[in-house]
Amino acid sequence: MTTETQQVTDYAVQARGLSKSYGRDSTRVEALRGVDVAFARSRFTAIMGPSGSGKSTLMHCLAGLDNADSGEIIIGGKNLTELNDDQLTTMRREQIGFVFQSFNLVPTLNARDNILLPLSLAGKKHDREWFNVVIDSLGLRDRLTHKPHELSGGQQQRVAVARALLTRPEVVFGDEPTGNLDSRTGAEVLSLMRTSTREMGQTIIMVTHDPAAASYADTVLLMKDGNLVGSLEDPTVASVTEALASLAE
Amino acid sequence: MLQVAIANIKTYARRYIAVLLAVAIGTAFLGATLAVDSSTRATLKNSLGDSYKNADLVASVDWELTPNDRDTSMLSMDTVREIRDLPEVSGVYGDGVMGAALRTGDNGYTVMLQPISAENKLSGMSMLEGRAPLGADEVVIDQEHAEQMGLSVADTVALSSMEDNAKMRELKVVGIVETTTDPMSSSFAQLAMQEDAWERFAGENAQLNRLVIDAEKDVAQTQAAVAEYFHGKDLVDVVVNTADEQVLDDVASMTGGTDQLTIILLVFALVALIVTGLVVMNTFSVVIAQRTRELALLRTLGAKRAQIRSSVLIEALLIGVIASVVGVALAVALMAGLIQLLRNLVPEMSYATLAVDARGIIIPLAVGIVMTVLAAWLPARRAMSLAPLAALRPFDAASVKNRAGLVRIIFGSLLTLAGAALLAYGALNSELLIAFAGGLLSFPGILMLASLFVPATVFGIGKLMTGRSVAGRLASLNAVRNPGRTTATATALLIGVTLVSMIMVGGQSAKATLNGSISGEYPIDLTVAQDTLTSDSVAPKLAELEGVESVSAYTMRTVATEFPDGSSSEEYAMVVDPESYASVVHDEQIVPRDGELLSTWWQIEADHATVNGQPVKLRTTSASFVSNTLTENTAAKLGISDKEGKSGVAIKVDPSLSNGAVTELVESIADVAGVENSMISGGVTEKAMFSQIIDVLLMIVSGLLAVAVLIALIGVANTLSLSVLERTRENALLRALGLKKKQLRSMLATEAVLIGGVAALLGLILGAVYGLLGAHSALSSVGSMSYEIPWLQLAAVLLVSLLAALLASITPGRRAAKLSPVEGLATE
Repeated sequence: MTTETQQVTDYAVQARGLSKSYGRDSTRVEALRGVDVAFARSRFTAIMGPSGSGKSTLMHCLAGLDNADSGEIIIGGKNLTELNDDQLTTMRREQIGFVFQSFNLVPTLNARDNILLPLSLAGKKHDREWFNVVIDSLGLRDRLTHKPHELSGGQQQRVAVARALLTRPEVVFGDEPTGNLDSRTGAEVLSLMRTSTREMGQTIIMVTHDPAAASYADTVLLMKDGNLVGSLEDPTVASVTEALASLAE
Repeated sequence: MLQVAIANIKTYARRYIAVLLAVAIGTAFLGATLAVDSSTRATLKNSLGDSYKNADLVASVDWELTPNDRDTSMLSMDTVREIRDLPEVSGVYGDGVMGAALRTGDNGYTVMLQPISAENKLSGMSMLEGRAPLGADEVVIDQEHAEQMGLSVADTVALSSMEDNAKMRELKVVGIVETTTDPMSSSFAQLAMQEDAWERFAGENAQLNRLVIDAEKDVAQTQAAVAEYFHGKDLVDVVVNTADEQVLDDVASMTGGTDQLTIILLVFALVALIVTGLVVMNTFSVVIAQRTRELALLRTLGAKRAQIRSSVLIEALLIGVIASVVGVALAVALMAGLIQLLRNLVPEMSYATLAVDARGIIIPLAVGIVMTVLAAWLPARRAMSLAPLAALRPFDAASVKNRAGLVRIIFGSLLTLAGAALLAYGALNSELLIAFAGGLLSFPGILMLASLFVPATVFGIGKLMTGRSVAGRLASLNAVRNPGRTTATATALLIGVTLVSMIMVGGQSAKATLNGSISGEYPIDLTVAQDTLTSDSVAPKLAELEGVESVSAYTMRTVATEFPDGSSSEEYAMVVDPESYASVVHDEQIVPRDGELLSTWWQIEADHATVNGQPVKLRTTSASFVSNTLTENTAAKLGISDKEGKSGVAIKVDPSLSNGAVTELVESIADVAGVENSMISGGVTEKAMFSQIIDVLLMIVSGLLAVAVLIALIGVANTLSLSVLERTRENALLRALGLKKKQLRSMLATEAVLIGGVAALLGLILGAVYGLLGAHSALSSVGSMSYEIPWLQLAAVLLVSLLAALLASITPGRRAAKLSPVEGLATE
């Protein structure tokens, strides 16, 4: 078992037998019921499902933000469930990037400092060349000295994407990254994310309930009642909408 | 994390103003205390050094060096003459002081008489006018006292030794010297006469305190030579110091008293710092609660727990450093101002010196910084334990349940119970130290339990007071929605108010009790003694003077008393009219009954005696300013002659008169009765002095504690304004739903008044209990206790707390009301 988990596979993220429940007795909710899933490297995957399907819980567990009741999660050859808090924290800042629905930038720091925050937390210097590549590809060069409240929603989210990409993590998690954006800026951010998988080989896992957002992904995984119930390759808005509709039946 | 901490302080600078202020005040208190200490020393050094300002060496006797089998060595004028002959010495002044009686025309004074030598510069005296005394019948006198006595150069005075009035000598004033600043000798007039004349006048009292020596060339060489001289004379207990060393020794022996003052002040500084610590802790708790999402985000992005903690602690450190520097600067400026004021207002204090040593700067700086960081420790730990997921949850503004830790409740209960038991034991058995220990244990215990009763009281009183208005109901709910925060805010104020009211209640009871026992000790305010039998006619005139409450004339008769043990006495006794006499005394115990002789012969144990062959009962009193007393009836029955004797009037003085007014009253009584001031005596001055001392002490202590209350009130304002920031969305929602601006402001005011008022009320109750128990344990052995509660002062404390809380709500209320509903809802 251990030899197997330490192998670096073609998968950026793998999970086996992941279970998680909340509450007790009558209020008990089984959010995840033994989920087995693997996310291929350099792919953009969307996780979809109706409210309460367990998609957010799955992402939180995979990202090491929440503890699963049982099962194992392997990122970059390490089993997350065996790590203590400090190791998990190191893991997050080196191997995992986040893009949130509400941007979640530190309001007191300017864009540049926000982008560099994970590296300065680790006490590391950034790769200047890579920094330039990232901010140029996201079109942030003019905005670096601005504080978050001086930026538009789309700009803030691009700063968040830059922050996630700068550490060249094993995987970037997106939690409804376009939920707070209008459709045009949302589309802009999504194509930037897709470009980063194509050109930088970045693995991205995104939770969304918007079929239009999911259509930018390479693969769509469908969830219902704490289980994975299907997947779509090269999705379109139409195929995703249809698949979601069939889930509701 | 330094980067994040600095960015936070820059952005949220306004949120830290109150903390900065609180820490700065606390640190300034400590700094000022230490500056008082060092300045007192410097001032003493400055003034004591006056006597040696022209000298190189000082030789004096140190009793501690005297061998057990020998008498302490004496320094005499012979010693002076012999040392003067040493080649290394250029001049010696023998410094000695003897008391003498001086008469100028019609007045008599006690004065200090010093020798003055040809080398008079060594005596430290500066001649202002005239010349030094050369002949045996010449003196100089210090300027200040010369003015008081109306003396000037060429006047003649009469001087005699204290023991023997007969040896009166006529002397001529030939010079006026500057009054010394040495506190040890400046209260008496300083006279100086030529050295040999002084020696003859003093006779066998001609002992010198010290020799002030001027070196011919090298000071060290001279010091060795003089020491060698004493060694050769086998005077082993004489020490030869340089002038500087001597000043340091003198200062050390004089500052024993100021050390105690410093310790007392330090205790108050400690109280202020503890309150400051609570305010800091509270502010950081609130600030961190507001930053939950941000801190959790940092955790998500890979900040380790320890990094979060150090970020909070770095913020605390920066604030501590800034505030402490400001505080110390404030303390130094305050002391400099006070000393300047003292110099300008009190001419005798012209030598007051500001001194701030390294200790006085480093200690308050270090204490301020460490205290701030320590106070932030607990909030920092809470921040550290935030789950990363908290960043992703929707913002949760519902009320927070802080469970008081079980350990704290158990520990607090134990402390409270143990403390209360000690306090009760101490109070019942008049053991002040035990009661003090009890208070020291139970107060922290009660504070630990504060979370159990403070929020409940706030809620209960809120429900009672606010009635049915929506704003009021919301206010009382808001006041307790974060019980931990409410408790901490209220606790800071509770500490200050408890201590202030304890001092007020305890002090008032102490004053009442002491007044009672002082009345027993000094039962008669004033008596005017007359050599004639004219008091009956004088008494009505005295009764008309302003400040006189009642009078009673009495006569003084010779009473020959024989005691059962065979001894006898023939002394004057007061013969009084018991009715009018009872109206002027403070203690009915000293009014004799018929057939009774109130006696002051405490050494006679008999309870009866015979006067003129007839039996009389004896009752002894130990009160001051009371003579043997009997009633007119008794005197007539015993056949005591009423043809001869003296008389007098006993006077009761208006108790509200100040010390100064009493002095003036005595003057006018002397005028009306036609007697000298010295014929008037009584306990009124002593009484006025005692109660004035207590009043001044109470005022100082309350003033010192008021600093703690001030800091706590800053804390109330701070918590409230931070809570307003936190509830921006909610307040905007209320506004959107139709809450008027005025209602919003009154809601916040109500919340502040509730927290401040309840804290003050609980503090008053607690302080009153502590004060009464403390006064009881300290004083119940002194005399019968009188318990008094200064209602007016306590009401003032409550009122000030309420007004300050109201004031504290103004700025946050205005800010909350300024926000438009839409803006507020948009704020993340």
